[in-house]
Amino acid sequence: MGKQTWKERIPTFASTLGLLVLIAAYYIIGAIRDANVAYGLKAVVNQSVVVALVATGAVFIYTLGSFDISLGAATGVSALLGAMAYNATGSLIVMFLVCIGVAVVIGFINSSLASVFNLPIFVTTVAMMSVLSAFMLILIGWNGAGDTIKVKARDVRPLDNIPFKVSMLVAYIALCWFIFTLLPTGREAKFIGGNPICAKLSGIDEKKLAIIASLISAVGIGLGAFLTIVYAPTLNKDTASSIGMDVIIAIVFGGMPVSGGPRSRILSAVVGAFSMGFLSQIMSMLNLGSGFGQMIKAAIFLLVVFIALGSQRSKLLTR
Amino acid sequence: MEPILSVRGMDKSFGATIALRQVDIDVYPGEIRGLIGENGSGKSTLTSILAGIQKADAGEVAFHGKPWQPVSMIDALEHGVGMIVQETGTIPGISVAENLFLGESTRFRNRLGLVSRKAMEREARKALEVIHADHIQPGMPTAMLDLQERKLIEVAKVMVKKPEILVVDETTTALSQKGRELLYQLMNSLKKEGRAVIFISHDLDEIKQVCDTLTVLRDGKIITHFTRENYDDDAIKTSMIGREMQGEYYRADSVPSWQENVLLKADHLNGSGLKDISLEIRAGEILGIGGLSECGMHTLGKALFGSAMLTDGTLETEGKVYCDPKHATRLGVGYVSKERDTESLCQQASIRDNVAIGGLQHIQKKHLILKKRETEYVQKQVDALSIKCRHMEQPVSAMSGGNKQKVVFGKWLGAGSRVLILDCPTRGVDIGVKQSMYQLITKMKYEGKAILIISEEMSELIGMCDRLLVMKDGAVQKEFLRGQMNEAAIIRYMI
Repeated sequence: MGKQTWKERIPTFASTLGLLVLIAAYYIIGAIRDANVAYGLKAVVNQSVVVALVATGAVFIYTLGSFDISLGAATGVSALLGAMAYNATGSLIVMFLVCIGVAVVIGFINSSLASVFNLPIFVTTVAMMSVLSAFMLILIGWNGAGDTIKVKARDVRPLDNIPFKVSMLVAYIALCWFIFTLLPTGREAKFIGGNPICAKLSGIDEKKLAIIASLISAVGIGLGAFLTIVYAPTLNKDTASSIGMDVIIAIVFGGMPVSGGPRSRILSAVVGAFSMGFLSQIMSMLNLGSGFGQMIKAAIFLLVVFIALGSQRSKLLTR
Repeated sequence: MEPILSVRGMDKSFGATIALRQVDIDVYPGEIRGLIGENGSGKSTLTSILAGIQKADAGEVAFHGKPWQPVSMIDALEHGVGMIVQETGTIPGISVAENLFLGESTRFRNRLGLVSRKAMEREARKALEVIHADHIQPGMPTAMLDLQERKLIEVAKVMVKKPEILVVDETTTALSQKGRELLYQLMNSLKKEGRAVIFISHDLDEIKQVCDTLTVLRDGKIITHFTRENYDDDAIKTSMIGREMQGEYYRADSVPSWQENVLLKADHLNGSGLKDISLEIRAGEILGIGGLSECGMHTLGKALFGSAMLTDGTLETEGKVYCDPKHATRLGVGYVSKERDTESLCQQASIRDNVAIGGLQHIQKKHLILKKRETEYVQKQVDALSIKCRHMEQPVSAMSGGNKQKVVFGKWLGAGSRVLILDCPTRGVDIGVKQSMYQLITKMKYEGKAILIISEEMSELIGMCDRLLVMKDGAVQKEFLRGQMNEAAIIRYMI
């Protein structure tokens, strides 16, 4: 039996190649413009790392052909409660554990409701998003310190560095990659996303997978919440509010179909998140106004997705 | 006589795969022309080009002497060539009427410019009446209909346009005997009106009965043509597969045989149309279930796998009770659905993923799935079943029907299933692959597996089974043993 030709493999790696091209472009343009490349790189990591963490976990949910609209609200609530826990105890470890614990509880409630009532996860996350958004307002009001909840910046400054953030991201990606690639969970999730009826008739337990996916995603949300406090220790009702949309864009930019299924890849999230980060920095270095810059970003986004989805279009053989 | 349609020098490739090579064919008025060949021989590729689904790489097609270059299936149908495709050609999420008039909803605009559902459904009802399928409600969601009814919608959709050429691509495998007869009547009426039909089927008896002429394709080339006067089974089969068929087609023995131990036991199954069904299958036994399409046999297959809603009854395999597909698969029960493309395969996934998913527990080493081990596992199934593919990363959607079915078999055989429930296992499969599947089923019998074959092909049931249960209206009517089965007696209990 033959092997895949390089032409057949290109779509799989198109998004990764896209990221490499963007990194190269960033350094080339930085050198030409004599920009502070190291500072810009730090900005890219700070911008991308939270999205990459949340999106990497969310890949499990998207792979199932499902959708979590409460990612931003869950990150926000986890961060608020984490900050409150720190203010009460003065312990960063407690803050970390509360961030993770709150996210896991939210994920468990989402997936359990979906399983008990036989609903798509998407439906329960819509309800959860409203509940969590309201809960954020209650927490901020209850805290009694105006419109924000603050952690002293100097207390978290030791953790606000690139090696720590990147280490946390790499560790989480490694964990997700391990579960997704080396354990049956990933294979089964892809099958559910590709054809839920076939998955059921192959003996795959969809409800169990939905709970596992939500819990893995919750860990990413918790880590994202923790780094959100570390990077911006003043939290308000809009904290992490754009994460839901950023995650979708990152996943698609990373070459994974939002519909999930067999073409899902764990690295899509991180590739997409960093591609967006580098693209923003390049636009900024080129002094492109936000309007024109957005248009170029949109064009590049479409191009990458077009190439990444190319394999599906060309592999249509009737019989 | 001038042909309605004339093809000269048609070529078509999909990447490295050559689907058609220098194909020349003419279709004449008043002709029913059969197209026959192994899976992947190019039959559907040829007809899909004629029906506007895809374009040829080279060659000329003339329709009534003028160049034929339809831009879509709807365009081809509007201009005289309609096709009923092999697999599902309807959209499940919309109504029957919307499927019938897909792309034509503007025809039903009212004065306000809105689409009038009433008018559309009225027209749909007329179209369904033409093909005697008026039991289908035009306003019904298509997803609620079974495979046969969805196929009838496709037939109605094409027939309402009165095409000059009707292409029927392996449609009859989805139809009951009644549905088939209905389709044959429609084909004959087109023939009498001086139109033509291109008929694709793997059932040699059917094709000989229905077609006036027969064209054999192999590896994308036209091999030969037969006319009704010189139909010869051996000559047709030899030209199809390029060699004489070796070995037995069905089982050679005529005596029922099985071992003592019961591998599958069902007690008093009720619900989903089933009426108090109890049965046992022993190791080394092939049990057949036959009947008319709506007799409940397909539901029984699902019920035995634990995937039908039952109100009563128990299922056991080797003494262990199970109630859903998850437990069934863990206990070594496998199920091949009649609806292969929608229920047995993940179309976008690769051969690797589809085969491996059934046997993850065998691939794992210390709970880990290692690629090398997985590759060896899948390769073993690909070799054992002679699955034709470029590589195991190929998506199954790009495979022929017979090879897809082999992938489904591979999934369960690799998983080491001791009990196999096969619902129409040779549906849409050519005779070469059919023979190899029958040989495989016989081999599994002698390996001590318990096999249940649900089939609408009488010859398959008689040729393969140790025991046959005939069903009618959700209940078992009669049991036949191998050696006692004859078509007339079986049909008496079916009807």
